[in-house]
Amino acid sequence: MSHPTLEEKLAALKVSAPSAYERACADSLRPGDYEIGVQRTADILDEGYEIFMRSSRSSMGVAGDSIVAIFNAAGDLVNASAGTYLHAVIPPIVIKYILSRHSKNPGINDGDIWYTNDALYGGIHNPDQVAIMPVFFEGELVAWTAALSHTTETGAVEPGGMPLAATARFQEGMNLPPMRVGTDFQINTDVLEMFAAFGIRAEANVTVDMRARATTADRVRVRLLEMIAREGKDFVVGLMRRMLDEAEAGARKRIAHWPDGTYRTVTFSDAAGLAPGLIRNCAMTMIKKGDHLLFDFTGTSPETPSSYNAHPQAVIGHMANYIYEYVFHDLPVSSATFEPIDFVFPPNSILSPDARAATSCSVMAATGAMSAVANCISRARFGSDEWKQVAASQGNGGNAIVLAGVSQWGANFADMIAYPINTEGQGARATSDGMDAYGFPWCAFGRAPDVESMENEFPMLIPFSSHWKDSGGHGKHRGGVGTAQLWVTHHVPMLFQMAIADNSVIQTPQPLFGGYAPPTVPGIRLDGIDVAEAMASAKTGTLTLEALLRGEFGGTVVSGPYGSAVHPVPGGQSIIVGLSTGGTGYGDPLARDPASVAADVTKNLVSVHVARDIYGVAIDPVSGRVDDEATRASRESMIAARLERGRPYEEFEADWSQRKPPEEILEFFGSWPDGSVVTPLIRM
Amino acid sequence: MPRLHVGEYLDADLDTERWHCHECGHDFGPLRSDYKRGLLVAERDPREVHPPVLEGAYTFAPNGDWIRIVEFYCPGCGRQVETEYLPPGHPLTQDTALDVDAIMARLASGAVRIDEHGKLEATR
Repeated sequence: MSHPTLEEKLAALKVSAPSAYERACADSLRPGDYEIGVQRTADILDEGYEIFMRSSRSSMGVAGDSIVAIFNAAGDLVNASAGTYLHAVIPPIVIKYILSRHSKNPGINDGDIWYTNDALYGGIHNPDQVAIMPVFFEGELVAWTAALSHTTETGAVEPGGMPLAATARFQEGMNLPPMRVGTDFQINTDVLEMFAAFGIRAEANVTVDMRARATTADRVRVRLLEMIAREGKDFVVGLMRRMLDEAEAGARKRIAHWPDGTYRTVTFSDAAGLAPGLIRNCAMTMIKKGDHLLFDFTGTSPETPSSYNAHPQAVIGHMANYIYEYVFHDLPVSSATFEPIDFVFPPNSILSPDARAATSCSVMAATGAMSAVANCISRARFGSDEWKQVAASQGNGGNAIVLAGVSQWGANFADMIAYPINTEGQGARATSDGMDAYGFPWCAFGRAPDVESMENEFPMLIPFSSHWKDSGGHGKHRGGVGTAQLWVTHHVPMLFQMAIADNSVIQTPQPLFGGYAPPTVPGIRLDGIDVAEAMASAKTGTLTLEALLRGEFGGTVVSGPYGSAVHPVPGGQSIIVGLSTGGTGYGDPLARDPASVAADVTKNLVSVHVARDIYGVAIDPVSGRVDDEATRASRESMIAARLERGRPYEEFEADWSQRKPPEEILEFFGSWPDGSVVTPLIRM
Repeated sequence: MPRLHVGEYLDADLDTERWHCHECGHDFGPLRSDYKRGLLVAERDPREVHPPVLEGAYTFAPNGDWIRIVEFYCPGCGRQVETEYLPPGHPLTQDTALDVDAIMARLASGAVRIDEHGKLEATR
């Protein structure tokens, strides 16, 4: 077995040295060639992205949680269309592995279709799968193309591709190292059958998604060849190298004028799969020196005996979500933008587990890194003239509901529903609030499907989906609110549901500059409620989450962790409450414009008691207007209370440092407070 | 030279090597030390900030046995400079430690300057 080592993976993220031929081609580009060429690659990729969404079957693919990419012959990423930047970083690891291990046997040929979904070899987690095609021109390998997306079934011990019950990779279903699955531009039928067998719970999702990836990679390949036929091979080879050069220069220039220093954030989570426990899911130290960044994860808790672990490149992929959305948004999605960035991962941590570890829920393990990188870079960037682009972390909940069973159309299905995860609130920004229900932190360009589309696709009724009041982190600038939705089994007697989640006991992201984090996300079910009767009796605007939780429409409210094992949900008598988390807050809530608080109350985004108790804003209950005098007095009183209860740092720390969380929640934390491995995990 | 505005409520005076409140100018201490040491600190039960909506253990409020909200205030004006969600007893985080010498060297070289908003900007 020769899966790549951590050192090999990190080295593969770096751009390959240019050959003399590549350098000569890059130098021969004429004025304007580069700008036009970049746009042409972007157009090709955008076409591929559109084809990908229209060809996919899983709801994640349909929602656009995917990426389409072009690489040079050495496997360096030169540009991509997203979708989710999560996938942008990793294909170079896979392509360079194929080049180094399989060039002679079985060989790399025109018409090959390569494929992998194994995080041990460079992936994110095994639902995330990639088809890769070499691009040959006149017998010479000149480039690669790839299409990556998330398919919600892998044949694991539970449906949905992200088994909560898995304790080792052996329970995660299909894990394919990089392998050739097609020749002569055709997927091999024996391999396709293997996919169907692994995906027997949702065969159409698995096989159609696989074909969609290959179709998309091939379309981009064809368009690249057309570009070569039109402009010449030298042009395309030179363009790709120049794109790498420009991306690296742009990244270094951006980093260079942030204040040099060391920036730190710690984040926590509350579960390893279904087992509750406190985990320091990221201890991030970011050292910024000149035009270079070093991210050191020393102090992160040990790997867990669950599927909540992430291999290092998956962690870096999660950081790329933030980095490309906020920092390098105007640079090509390219290996070269990561050239000035290095990483230190402590072995046997939740962010660098053993080869046998289950990692199918790596997205839950990596939420800490995704939040921490936003916090660290925002702190560094705020001292530069880019400060207006600083933002508090997204909520990064990613709480995912998985449904499985037989649909109203008689088809087997198992799918992660895209709507809840695509309607989270954005983190508050330096000059404005976060956007409400902005999208999916993993995929800023994903689309929340229409309710009608979901009801057509799944045997579900969705009585409402609305903004979730008070879900945004409080602050001078408020985190965007997420959404609440009701899900009711419909048209069929029952189906199966599970949920992949944490953040029901504590929230992971840290706020910024005196703001607050969003609230926790409980799992709520309403049992014994006649849904048809409730809907019939409701008047316009009265069927709300608050009213349901107050019992105004009958039934019993059952709350617990949002994450849940597979269980049946009968039709018509039970409501699942889907919740999409809000973003974190920015700045002191007492510095928020009172008129903005009143507007939030009017729009049902913030409660009157939160306006009063957190923002210190008094609102006239009749007019809805701010009482300026009462607000001024309230805020003065709240500031006086701070100065009264606040203690000098040393005095506070002397008492604080003597305390410790309850022993029973520290099983997964590691040693207290260092987070070091106490008992090594042994997986059989 | 102008103070460097490094946080919403945090200034770094590179001449005197002192931290200051951006709102009221209060002195938070030496620049080569953690600015939080110059702030007032208080611990909040998370339920005070995130009111429970439901009965039981899962209520929309973080569990106070697991996590506390640590708030840092300016002693001069009471501005809430920072907040951290930390398990009880967890070490407080030094979130920003400027490399003063490196910044001064880059300023001296002319590669960057501090603009009228107190922000570093590249000069070339």
